[in-house]
Amino acid sequence: MTGTSLTRRRFVGLGLASAAAVGTVTSCSKGPSSSGGQTTITFSYLWTGQEAKALESVIARFNASQRDIVVKGVSNPDSQAQLAAMTGSKGAFDISDNFGTATGDWASKGIIRSLEEYIQRDKYDISDFVPSALDACRYQKQVYQLPIAVNNYALFYNKTLFAKAGISTPPKTTGEWASAIAELTRTDSKGLTQLGLAGASGAAIDYRLLGVVFGGKWYAGGSPTPTDPGNIAGADFYVNNVIKKYGVKQINRFASGFGDYQSPQNPFYQGKLAMVIDGEWQPAFIQEFAPDLDWGVTPVPHPDDRPDLAGTTMVAPGTLFIPSNSKHPDEAWEFMKYLVSADAMRTFTKALSNLPSRTSLLKDKAYGEIKNFDLFLDLLASKNAVSMPSEPTLAQYTADLATADDQITRLAKTPAQAYAQVAAAAKSYA
Amino acid sequence: MVFMAGPIAVSLYYSFTEFNLFQSPRWVGLQNYTDLVGDPKFWRSVVNTAYLAIIGVPLGLALALLTALALNFPVRGQPLYRAIVYLPAIVPVVTATYLWRWVFNAQYGYLNELLARVGLPQPNWLADPLWTRPSVIIITLWGIGGTAVIYLAALQQVPQQLIEAAAVDGANTWQRFWHVVWPTLTPVTLFQLIMGVIAALQIFAPTYLLTQTRSNGASGGPGDTLLTYAMYLFHNAFVFLRMGKAAAMAWILFLVIGGLTVLILLTSRRWVHYGSE
Repeated sequence: MTGTSLTRRRFVGLGLASAAAVGTVTSCSKGPSSSGGQTTITFSYLWTGQEAKALESVIARFNASQRDIVVKGVSNPDSQAQLAAMTGSKGAFDISDNFGTATGDWASKGIIRSLEEYIQRDKYDISDFVPSALDACRYQKQVYQLPIAVNNYALFYNKTLFAKAGISTPPKTTGEWASAIAELTRTDSKGLTQLGLAGASGAAIDYRLLGVVFGGKWYAGGSPTPTDPGNIAGADFYVNNVIKKYGVKQINRFASGFGDYQSPQNPFYQGKLAMVIDGEWQPAFIQEFAPDLDWGVTPVPHPDDRPDLAGTTMVAPGTLFIPSNSKHPDEAWEFMKYLVSADAMRTFTKALSNLPSRTSLLKDKAYGEIKNFDLFLDLLASKNAVSMPSEPTLAQYTADLATADDQITRLAKTPAQAYAQVAAAAKSYA
Repeated sequence: MVFMAGPIAVSLYYSFTEFNLFQSPRWVGLQNYTDLVGDPKFWRSVVNTAYLAIIGVPLGLALALLTALALNFPVRGQPLYRAIVYLPAIVPVVTATYLWRWVFNAQYGYLNELLARVGLPQPNWLADPLWTRPSVIIITLWGIGGTAVIYLAALQQVPQQLIEAAAVDGANTWQRFWHVVWPTLTPVTLFQLIMGVIAALQIFAPTYLLTQTRSNGASGGPGDTLLTYAMYLFHNAFVFLRMGKAAAMAWILFLVIGGLTVLILLTSRRWVHYGSE
């Protein structure tokens, strides 16, 4: 027993000594991150490579713009490390980024700070943020994150393959879409050689978006609603027009030959897929990996009898947040305001070829250089642009939906059966 | 002791709480354990892991033994063959798994190319729920070099005069193996069996890498066939942040491994022969 208590005392003593040592060292050099009125804050971000470079230039401009705060940017793409850093009482960073999908989960656990007090104190105007993007940043009516770079989705099509099949205009309704899929699918003695529509990484497609396109909702009043008729109709559309028609085995075999998504071997660039649902970053990707591809993009078609659903898309915002254990939340808030200001947002989102989250930027000429980007900007302003509600149950729900999606794609269950199973499981979500 | 026993004891406490890393743990008694009993994904992970262990471990041992026997033949270039067999065992599991992903590719993979040449059906290895688990077993079999080398060392301990004596007494090759060589290999087999079972019950890296999604998601592969016990534990801990449930899973696994080890040791009295007996 004496041994342990001695060890513990020595351990504590050591800790105190080292803390004192660190204190001395830092106060000698720069001060414990604030001296002479200057506060150093750490901005840890998940972006890397070119995107990180663009962000660093924005950070440099902020640092040059004022004398009170020095922002130190750290690129760390490991989301597990990000989460781990937020567990202790002393935070490793003061501001960071994630996605709208994290809001509910993190806010409910007290991982991130509500921004409400700052917004009210500064009378900060949030009305310019795109509603669907800001929706994903709220939990129980409080704003916990601010959106910066936004993703949304549309239907890309290969103009050369359309011309070969004698189709002059891209589909506007799901009826036209179904016949286009049929006309654009080719087989030879060995199997499929070209598919009208599939996912860029395999047979599975974005069932969340298809559900919404057919008027479905994945949450209502904070509770999962997987069996909403629209959700089932969306999955049924794909199952009936692609999977059942061309065979799950054949499609899987064909899809196993798809190259890397982010490479010239992407099946859409290769003409293996005539149409694909993809995001607003794709124009820049095509420019980089397949500059000779003749392509167009159009909103995902709406059901024939629902013209009111034209221009439906799902919005997924990249977001900024202040962790609860930030040592300098006030300064982090000042920097956050700068990052989402029109100028900084324009610079950053343009470099990423992502959408800005400010309505006032949706008509900005700066984005005109990116081919067909206007369609995504318009879709973001559409009344049918929706985001996945950010509920605390979302991670669990997403995992269960992924299991259901997989069963649907493999025809192991019908969409109605698979989503009914999710509905049953969702009853036990805490 | 502090770094090992401390966390182990604390994890037992956590297994009786609801704990998400960010808020104080809340005592829930046995609820994590009873929740697991009623959780279909838990049972699926148990079935998947049992599949990999029951088929993979004996198959691995048998193949390693055969390989060791082959490598024990005095032929030219023997050291080279031994090195080649051992080589995959030193390839990092991440590299090996990514490599195998291409070998298993249904359209362009070497394996299906080979099967097509000999006129056999070519399964869609990694997309068909029927074939995903056999694929993982094949990946693990590729790394049996380590086991084979241990067998090889044991084979060289077999007293040569016993084999010669048996040959003089008219024993054929099979009889010499079964009555002379195999009994001397049983202690090593016992050790390898226990280590193999423990490794199989904790299998994580290959299945995780084969199902990894771009974000921090919780995918279990086609039909959740690749959702192993350790993976579901990881999902609970780091995707859903349910540390209590994850700790409960860890304790169940610990008890099962302990139980199985005792069971194997008990049966070993019937089939393991030590030199002194």
